[in-house]
Amino acid sequence: MKPIKKEANLEPIDDLRQAGLRLEIMRFLALAVFLVLAGRLWYLQVMNSGVYAEQADQNRIRILPIPARRGTILDRHGREIVTSRAAYNLVINRKDIKSYAEATDLLVDNLGIERPWIEKRFKDAQFEAKWESIVVKEMATDADVAWVMAHQFEHPELRAEEAPQRLYRYSQFAAHALGYVGEVSPEELKKGQFTKENGYKLGDIIGKFGIERYYNDILMGKDGARRVIVDSKGRIQSEIERIDPIPGRDLYTTLDLDIQNAAEAQAELMPSGRGAIVVMDPNNGEILAMVSRPAFDPNIFSQRAKTPEGKSEIRELQDDPDKPLYNRVIQGLYPPGSTWKLMTTVAALNEGVITPTNSRIQDGGIQLGNRFMRSISNYGQPDIITAIARSADGYFYRLGLKMGVERFEKWVHLFHFGQRTGVDLPNEQSGLLPTRAAKEMLIRNQLKREREKKGLEWRDKDEEQVRQLAKWSDYDMAASAFGQGTNALTPIQLLRYVGGLAMGGQMSVPHLLLRGASGIDREGVSHEEIRYENKGGFVVPMGPEIQAIVKRGMWEAVNGAGTAGGGRVEGFDVCAKTGTAQVAATERAGSKNKDHAWFMSFAPRDKPEICLVVITENVGFGGTYSAPRARAIYEDYYRRTRNLAPPEAEGEATKK
Amino acid sequence: MFISRRYLADFDWVLLALALAAGLFGVVEISSVEPFPGHWQKQLINIGVGVLLLFFVTFVDYRTIVHFAPFFYGAGIVLLLLVLGPLGKVKHGNRSWLDLGYFGLQPSEFAKIFTLLMLTYFLAQVRKRPLDLRTLVIAGIIWIVPVVLVFLQNDTGSMLSFFSILATLIFLSGLRWSWVAGGLAVVMIVALVAVPRLKEKKGYKAERIKAVYWPELADKRYRYQNEQSEIAVGSGGIIGKGIHSGTQGSLGFLPEVHTDFIFAVASEETGFVGSLSALTIYLLMITRLLQIARQTRDRTGLLLVAGFAALLLYHVTVSVGMVLRLLPIMGIPLPLMSYGGTSVLATFFGLGLALNVRLRRFVN
Repeated sequence: MKPIKKEANLEPIDDLRQAGLRLEIMRFLALAVFLVLAGRLWYLQVMNSGVYAEQADQNRIRILPIPARRGTILDRHGREIVTSRAAYNLVINRKDIKSYAEATDLLVDNLGIERPWIEKRFKDAQFEAKWESIVVKEMATDADVAWVMAHQFEHPELRAEEAPQRLYRYSQFAAHALGYVGEVSPEELKKGQFTKENGYKLGDIIGKFGIERYYNDILMGKDGARRVIVDSKGRIQSEIERIDPIPGRDLYTTLDLDIQNAAEAQAELMPSGRGAIVVMDPNNGEILAMVSRPAFDPNIFSQRAKTPEGKSEIRELQDDPDKPLYNRVIQGLYPPGSTWKLMTTVAALNEGVITPTNSRIQDGGIQLGNRFMRSISNYGQPDIITAIARSADGYFYRLGLKMGVERFEKWVHLFHFGQRTGVDLPNEQSGLLPTRAAKEMLIRNQLKREREKKGLEWRDKDEEQVRQLAKWSDYDMAASAFGQGTNALTPIQLLRYVGGLAMGGQMSVPHLLLRGASGIDREGVSHEEIRYENKGGFVVPMGPEIQAIVKRGMWEAVNGAGTAGGGRVEGFDVCAKTGTAQVAATERAGSKNKDHAWFMSFAPRDKPEICLVVITENVGFGGTYSAPRARAIYEDYYRRTRNLAPPEAEGEATKK
Repeated sequence: MFISRRYLADFDWVLLALALAAGLFGVVEISSVEPFPGHWQKQLINIGVGVLLLFFVTFVDYRTIVHFAPFFYGAGIVLLLLVLGPLGKVKHGNRSWLDLGYFGLQPSEFAKIFTLLMLTYFLAQVRKRPLDLRTLVIAGIIWIVPVVLVFLQNDTGSMLSFFSILATLIFLSGLRWSWVAGGLAVVMIVALVAVPRLKEKKGYKAERIKAVYWPELADKRYRYQNEQSEIAVGSGGIIGKGIHSGTQGSLGFLPEVHTDFIFAVASEETGFVGSLSALTIYLLMITRLLQIARQTRDRTGLLLVAGFAALLLYHVTVSVGMVLRLLPIMGIPLPLMSYGGTSVLATFFGLGLALNVRLRRFVN
C-alpha cells in the first residue's frame, strides 16, 4: 500500500478549490433543510398550536360521569318500594380483545362466569354495534370489581362500569303505577321534556313510564363528573376535578303497601289474567292501590336492558297481545255497563224526571221502532232503589227515554265523563261519551276512513250523510241510559265517579303523589317538601235526598238481594254497583268472547274511607267475578284498620 | 502523546460544546419521558464514553486511521453478518441488533462510519479528474456490500443513510457536473414515476408514505403515529409545556419516545423555542464540519469530514422531518439526542475524526 501522506501533498490546488465550491453547495443544502424544518415548526407550534393543544387535551382528558342516585319511591307509611343502589357491570372493550378464546378463559377462571354463557355472549356480540362494549357480568360482586381493578394493567380491556341499579323490590308489584326507567332515547333528546337544552344527555337514565316518568324531575338527580387524565390506553392516571352528583329526591306515594298487597293477591285470581283493580280514599283522591294485569317486572328495564336475555324479555313484553306494558287503570277503555246507571239516576232525580217518592217505572224489554231491546230483568214496576240494587235494565231504558237526550247530556258533562281525570301518570286516556256529538264524530270518522280507502274526496254530501246516520234514535237513548251506548271509560274515571257518589258529589282528582322530599333539583334550586296540589276537584250537585237514594241503592245491591252480593263484608257496609261491559261483536274472538266484569264500590256507607273499582276482562257477569275480588280487599282492609285478627282459616276459604 | 498547548488551542471546543449540548438536551428529555427507569443515567454514561472515544480518536493521525480503513470496513461487514446470524435480535421488525449479553449493539451505526472510512480511503487515492466510470463502479461495490446487508435487516432508514455518504463523496471527488445533473434527473424521474404508484400499494412501507402525503388513503393504524406526533409538536406552542409536563409522550400516545421520537417529546415540552434551538445546534455543527472540510489541505480529510457532515445532515433531516410529518416514519435515531449507546458512540467517533482533521490541518 502506498503511503497516503505523500499523495495528499500532491493535491492540485484547483481540485481543492472546486471541492470548496461543492462544499458551499452542501452548506446551502443544510441551510435549506434547516429553513424547511424551522418553517414547519413555525406552522405547527406558532400558527396552529391552539388546535393541537386542544387535540392533546382531548387525547388525555376524559370526563367520567358519577351517576346520581335516583330518589327512592316509598309508600304512604314510608316503606320503600323502589330503591337505587350503586352496582357495577363488568364490561370488556371489544377493540382491545386480542383473542376471544383467551378472553373467555380469563373470565371463566377469574370472575366465575359460566363458559357456555360467555361463549354465546361473545357470539351474539358480533351482531351488536362495534363501538359498544360487551357486558360480561351484571351486578358484579365487590370481589369481582376488586379483581378487575387490581388487574387493570394486565387487562386494560376489562373494566367495571358503575351501572344504575333501580331495584323494584317487589318486582311486578304496582308496576304500572311505579313505571320503569331506561336510557333516554335519541328521539326524546330532540323534543319534549328531556331535550339536550334541558340538560339531558345520551346515557341518562330517565323515567319512561308511570310515576318514574311523571315525577322524573323529583326523582332524578344530576350526575356529577370526574375529569381525569388518561394514557393512550384509556387507563386513568390522575384526577383533575370532581363535581359531586346531586342525588334525586325521595318520593312518598299515596300507595299503601298492605292494600296494594291485597289487591295484587286478588288480581292474581282473575280467571282471564287480564283486568285492573284500583283503590282510592274518596275523601281526597289518594290512590291506595293500583293493579293492572297482566303485569311486568320493571327490573327488566332497569337491570337487564343491555343483556341479550333482557332485550328479548322486553321484546316479548312489547309483542304480547295481552299488552302487559299497558296500564289498564288509565289506558284501558271499557263501556261502563250498568255502573253507569247511577249517573242516569242522579241526572233523573236532579232533573225531576223521577222523584225520591215517586220513582216507579216499568221494567222489562221494550219495542223501539223496529228493534226490540231485551232486558234480563223484569221486576214489574220497581222503584229507583230496587232498580239500582237489582240493576233493572228495562227500568233505565224507560228512564232515559223519559229524560231525553238534552238533559242526559248535560249531566254526562257535569260528571266530567270523557275527560281525563288528571291523575298524575302519563298516557291517560280520555274515553268516549254516549252523546250525539260523540256519535256523529264516530260516524264521520268511519265514513272518512272508508272514503280515504277508496281514495275519494270528502264532500258536503257526505256531511249530510253523517247527519242522517248520526240521528239520535230512541234506541240510542235507551242504550246510553244504561251504559251500553257509544261510551268507553277508563277504570280511573269510574273510580273518581264512585268516589264522588260516596262523597255526595264531591269529586277528587285521583293521584299518587303524597309528598316529595325537600332537596335540590337538577338546576341546583333548593326545594321545600312538595305536596300534592289538588286542583281538578269538582262537585256534582246532588241534594241529601239524592245522595241517600244512591247510597241506599248501592248498599242494597250488596247487602240486600242485589246483584253485588258477592262484595258483602260483615260489619263494613260496602256499597257497590256491578256492571257488564259488553264486548263489541267485532272484537269477540276466542278467549275474548266474554264480557268484561265491572265492580265499583265504596265503604263504609255512612262515612266512606275507601272506594275501589275492579274490572276483570272477558269473564262475564260483574257480580260473579269481580265482586269477590273487592270483598277480599275490603275484608283485609277492615280487619287491619279495626285491629281484628287476620282471617287465617276464613282467608283460605275466600280464595276459593 | 499529543496533549500540548497546540493541541488545546487547535481543538474545536465549540464543536464539542455543541455536541454535548445536543446530548444533554436528549438526556433531559429522556428523563422526562422515562419509559424505563435508569435510561437517562445510562445515556449520560453513553455520552461520557463517547467523549472519551472522541479524544482517543484525536490522538492518532486520521491518515493513519484511514490507512487502516479496509480493516474497519471488514470488521463492519463481519458485524453486519453476525446480526443476520443467531446472535441477531429482532426489534420492532428490524433485525439490526446484536445481542452481546450485557449490552446490545447496532452494527449498522458503525458500519456507516466504517463505510465512510473505506470510501474515503479509496476515493482519496483516485487522481483522475473527472471521475471515470471504473472508479464509480469500484466505489459502488464498496458501498453496496454493507447496503445489501442492512437491507436484509429490513432497516430502510439506515439503508438510505448510506446513499448520503456515497453521493457526497463522489460529488466532492469531482464528479462531472453533467453527471451530477443526470443523477439528479434520474432521481426525480424515478420519484415522479414511482411515487404515484405508491397510492395503490399496500404493505407497511407504502402505508407509512401514504400516511404523510395522502393521509386519506392510508390505513388509520399507520396515520395514528403521524397524527400523535403532529399533535405533540403542535401542542407544545411557543414555549412548550415544560420539562416533565408533556402529555403526548409520557402518557403513551407516541411510540419510541426515547429513541426515534425524542424530537417530538422535546418539541412538546420546550416548544418552538426549544426545538428551534435544537435545530440550530445541528445546523451549527454541520456548517462547522463543512468549514473544517474547507480548511483541510488534503483530500482524505476533506472527504472524511464532509462525508460525516452529510451523514449527520441526513439523520437530522429524516428524524426531525418524520416527527414533523414531512417525511414518512423511518426508524432512525436523531444523533446525540436519541437514546442508544451505539448511535452515540458512532456519532462521537465521527466527530472525533473531524476534530482530528482540524487538529492536523496545517501539519502537512
